[in-house]
Parts: sequence; C-alpha cells; structure tokens
Amino acid sequence: MRKILTALVRAYQVATTNIAPRCKYYPSCSNYAITAIGRYGVKGLAMATWRIVRCNPWSQGGVDYVDAHLDCADVKNAIYDNEKEVVGAN
Amino acid sequence: MGFILNPLYNIVSGVIVFIHKLLTPVFGANSGVTWSLSIVGLVILIRIILIPLFVKQIKSQRALTALQPHMKEIQKKYKDDRQKQSEEMMKLYKEHKTNPLASCFPILAQAPIFFALFTVLNGIAAKTPEGVSAPIARGFLKGEYLDSAAQATFFGAKISQSFLGSTDTTVKIVTVLLIIFMSATTFTTQRQLMVKGMPKMDASNNMMLQQQKIMLYLFPVIFAISGVNFPVGVLIYWSTTNLWTWGQQYYVIKRNPTPGSPAYEELQRKRAHKEKLEGKNHDGIDQNEATEPEVQGQREQPKKKKKKKK
Repeated sequence: MRKILTALVRAYQVATTNIAPRCKYYPSCSNYAITAIGRYGVKGLAMATWRIVRCNPWSQGGVDYVDAHLDCADVKNAIYDNEKEVVGAN
Repeated sequence: MGFILNPLYNIVSGVIVFIHKLLTPVFGANSGVTWSLSIVGLVILIRIILIPLFVKQIKSQRALTALQPHMKEIQKKYKDDRQKQSEEMMKLYKEHKTNPLASCFPILAQAPIFFALFTVLNGIAAKTPEGVSAPIARGFLKGEYLDSAAQATFFGAKISQSFLGSTDTTVKIVTVLLIIFMSATTFTTQRQLMVKGMPKMDASNNMMLQQQKIMLYLFPVIFAISGVNFPVGVLIYWSTTNLWTWGQQYYVIKRNPTPGSPAYEELQRKRAHKEKLEGKNHDGIDQNEATEPEVQGQREQPKKKKKKKK
C-alpha cells in the first residue's frame, strides 16, 4: 500500500515537473506526502491530505516538515558534520 | 465514496445541462455543437472562478521584487546547501507575508471535477454485456438529455466514445487530433514561460531547459496513453482548459510580465519608446486625449478643462 501510494505521488511529480513549482511550503506537498506515508502509513496519508488543504491561496506557506526534529537542514547538517568528524578522527 | 461523488456529478451534469438549455435555441437540442459547447462552457466557468486566485498569485509574485536583495543574499550564503537555501527562502516569504507560489489545493481540487466529468460521460456510453447501449443517468443528465447526449457528436465523433472503446474511424481520428492539440498547447505554454516569462537565472536555467526538452517528448506519450482511454467529451474539456491556460499566460506575459524576465524588458523598451514618441509629439497626444470629452458636447474646451483638473 505504501509503495503504491508513493509510486502514485512520484508519477504526479514526474507529470508536473514541466509546470513551474507551485507549492507554498518547503518541502513541497508531494515530498511531504512521500515522507509522511513512508513513516506513518494511513496516518501519513491523512497528514498529507491536511497539508494539501493547508496549501491554499490564503495560506502563507513556510517551512513545514513531517518531523522537524528529523528532517530540517540544521539537523541533517549536524549529522553530516558528526560523520565527518568521526571520519577525521579515524 | 458516493457521498462525495454524487454532489460532484450533480454539479458537473447540472452545469452541462444548464448551458445546454441556454444554447438549445441557437444550435438545437440534439446538435453536437450544443453538447460540445456545454463542456467548453463548464471549463470556462471553472477557469473564471479560478481567475481571482490567479490574480492573487501574480500580485504576490510582483511583490517579490522588493525581496530580491534578500533572496540573492540567501542564495549566496547557502549556495552549497540547497535544503537550507529553500528553508530560508520560505522563511523569508512568510516573514514578508508574500508567497509567489500558487499553492497545491486549487489544482488538486480540479481533479475530482475532472473525474466526475469522466464518469458522467462514461455513463452515457455504457453498454450491456451484449453490446446494447444502456446509458446510465448521473446527476441531472437523465431522461431526454441522456438520450440526446448519447447521440451528440463532435466533428462526427460521439462525445461519449473513446479511442479504445470504439471501432469508429472518425472517433479514432478525432481523439488523435485532440491528443495532438493537447500536447501542442501544453508544450507552447511551457515554452512561452521558459523563453519569455521567467526571470533570467544562472545555474538553474540550464537544468530547466533540459527538463523542457525531456517534456517535449514525454508529454505526447503521457497524453496518448491516458487520452486513448478517455471519452471525446473529456478530451474536449482537457483541450479547452489547456488552451485557456495558454491564453491566460500569454495575456500576463504580454501585459504584466514578471520583473526581470525577457518579456518585461521588452515591455520596458516598448514603453520607453512610446514615451519618447509622446515627448516628441506631445501636442498630438494631448489632442487625442482631449477628443474623449468631446462626446459630451463641448468642442473647444476640453484641453483647458484637463489643465484645470491637474
């Protein structure tokens, strides 16, 4: 089920690459959906639906991660830097 | 699903039947033109409803010029970290309460309408296992309307038939032509935006050009695969909405282009040129403007009147 849904979202992404980017959020609704469905399954699907509803002409958008403490750039960079340090130490 | 879809069937079929009623005195109740234009009318109605959203988006895109220095700064600061760059960019938009992007909901909200139209039209074409046509009524498309719609044609092809579902050569030719038309409008829309409508970018431009080239070949394939399964009526809907998108974009690029785009520079040049001309024959222009109030009956005075207002 998760694989099918993810494949559908991917198909949507491929089909719309030609249209200028339209999502008001980062990550985009489709990427958000892929992460959410991968992590939470049906609950993730509901999260993704709610995200799409929020992504309307009256919203201001912004940064909105599925799990900010796992996904945001600073966290990822911190992990990356740690790995580098470990490699350096070796 | 029924509780979501039934209202949609009602809306779609209601609009189609309503436009059909309006057009019946002009083209006749059973004419294919009436039914085709009813579908076109549905598209026009939906797109008119969406215009305010489009205008809103254009306005926030224009507001972006003021943020240009900030954006450059962010791009420079995080040039090696695309994720951080995107994050900061979004934060900047939010801070300034402007977001140039269109938002996902409106486009996805159109999908159920498309699906409902597909089902309604497929219902018209429904057959019993023995191959006898047995149209299924959905929403307001029932009774005499259903029978009439089942016989309606678009350039000789029944609007309820699809490429794969019919042995009729005319249906096959019309669907192929519509698919070519859809691919062409999508591609030109895309190309127009690429070449004229977007601010010049340094690195990403190349990537976009590349994508555009892929799309040139991919789009006819996508349309062909899905198009052969769709009834002619759905293809009419799709073609019209594509054409509308093209026209809307053409208008914006010509009259109100994005600052920094080639079309914008062109418009600036034109305006500068016009101003120059106006500067040269200032009297001539003034007279032209002054002729307007003349309609109200005063023949000699308008020029003076205008000065007073200033």
